[in-house]
Amino acid sequence: MTTLANPSLDTPSPRPPRSRNFWKKQALSYLVILPTLLIFAVMTFGPILTTIVYSFQEVNLTRASEWVGLHNYVRMFGNPLFYTAWKNIAVFLIISILMGFMVPVFLALMVNELRHFGRFFQTIVYLPSLIPIAVALLVWRQIYAPDGGVLNSLLNSIGLPAQLWLQNPDLAKPAIVVIMTWLGAGGSVLIYLSALQEIPTEIYEAAELDGFSPWQRIWYITLPLISSRMQIMLLLQIIVVGQVFTEPFILTTGGPANSTVTPVLELYRTAFERSDFGLASAWSVSLLVVLSLFSIVYVRLSLGRESIQY
Amino acid sequence: MKATANRGVMSIVEGRSLKGRLVLGLFFAILVLTGIIIIFPFFFSFTAGLKNSTEIYRPGVNLWPASPDWGNYVEAWRRFNMTRMFWNTFVVAGGGVLAQLVVSSLAAFFLSRLKPIGSNLVMVLILITMTIPRIAYLVPLYMTLAKLPFINTSLINTFWGLWLPYAVNPFMILVLKNAFDSIPRQIYDAAEVDGATETRIFLQFTIPLSASIMLVLGLLSFIGLWGDFLLPLLVLRDSSMQTVSVRLFNLTRDFPMNLHMAGSFIAMIPPMFAAIFLQRYMKGGLTF
Repeated sequence: MTTLANPSLDTPSPRPPRSRNFWKKQALSYLVILPTLLIFAVMTFGPILTTIVYSFQEVNLTRASEWVGLHNYVRMFGNPLFYTAWKNIAVFLIISILMGFMVPVFLALMVNELRHFGRFFQTIVYLPSLIPIAVALLVWRQIYAPDGGVLNSLLNSIGLPAQLWLQNPDLAKPAIVVIMTWLGAGGSVLIYLSALQEIPTEIYEAAELDGFSPWQRIWYITLPLISSRMQIMLLLQIIVVGQVFTEPFILTTGGPANSTVTPVLELYRTAFERSDFGLASAWSVSLLVVLSLFSIVYVRLSLGRESIQY
Repeated sequence: MKATANRGVMSIVEGRSLKGRLVLGLFFAILVLTGIIIIFPFFFSFTAGLKNSTEIYRPGVNLWPASPDWGNYVEAWRRFNMTRMFWNTFVVAGGGVLAQLVVSSLAAFFLSRLKPIGSNLVMVLILITMTIPRIAYLVPLYMTLAKLPFINTSLINTFWGLWLPYAVNPFMILVLKNAFDSIPRQIYDAAEVDGATETRIFLQFTIPLSASIMLVLGLLSFIGLWGDFLLPLLVLRDSSMQTVSVRLFNLTRDFPMNLHMAGSFIAMIPPMFAAIFLQRYMKGGLTF
């Protein structure tokens, strides 16, 4: 619409004579974007390029850094923890998709059917995504506490044995995924709800007349119509789970038996506990490669829609 | 976007049939149960904060303390110096949102209205930053903040060390660009006829006409920054400057658990108020 209204900007034929005023306007326009470009350069582009440079260096904070070729990468690939961390991420992803991906879809479908209290439930589900994640995790740590924790007390009271939720290598990952779902489902529910409400009711009315049962309507109409959102949310989930840090950092510090070590956690430790910035940059590059692959698809898919999910 | 019509997948008639009522009743029961599970950690930290130091370690399910000790909340507030914590978090998040709004609205105005030669290239640069998660360049970002290039200043232990990286928000730029794009052309034309400069157009038309979307974006950002953890953990080393998340995390070992839970619950209250306020804007979710 905007392109039609102003032909002088978009169709430069015949090219208008460029007056001094024109160039002045160009220069002033760039003055407007200057602070943004400067901040983006220093806070984003600079660090991105530096990560790649650092990954080939032994980085010293006081002296000049030395080029070490592929040494950092050799060390990273030679460390069994590298494979453990990425395997953990893969397992986290599988569990979180199995346990968590469909939860917001079901919740949104149910909330959408209710004539009353819909808004109320929407707010309740969204509540956990609003609170500081670190604070939420401190509370969950007490819920999962091995003795005296509420969860184990509840289990005991109905005759089930207590579990070492965060201390058992088999249970730590699912226990963390439960928290991740609790934290993240609300935002997805809101997005699915808005997708559901965009579906014109006429489609359902027509299907009803054609004898489609409500379940058939969900299967043949609703799910296909929200499937593009589901794709975007799946990618977002992959990107978010790929950078899991706070949960293992606060709850398990990577244990038990390295079962919750993640690449970002190991990056953090390498850089900020062992001051090995070169090696940490190699880890960063590995994250950059994996996450950017998914991010590019995610950004392309979300820009393909006319609205942007925030 | 279409407003919520008075039916979902099921029609109203179907919803009133016996089977429909059963299904809706089941949905309602599931949602109530889910709601209880979601609320439980909030409730738990609230009541754990009311227990005295022996009761909190007593095994067994006792969700409500025998003699609630409201003094814990006062003590937590005082001993954790929560006034300070909240103020720090407010300054960090508020300044961050302000920086985001200024930087993003200028960039969006540039992309949507000024559109000089090369603005497409700027757009591509912004899109590139969207595709690279901050975590991937955290290490050099930290080192940049520790020693800014050219001026050799350290932003560690300053709020600028958070405001500057927070100012980068490519999503906000895109959402605002879309909002600015939807402002009717005629308004700009009329302003131009009146001889308004671009500065005046920006301040008198573009910004006021997008005020509500900027408010929602600002609120969402504020909530996000209020709970940010990793960057404040790295930048704010001085305990008197730390935000709620970082400070409560650092304090876990030094204080009894009941006080800690009381403090945690207090920390969850402001976002809950924000939720009630946001609810007015959450008609159909948070899509722009």
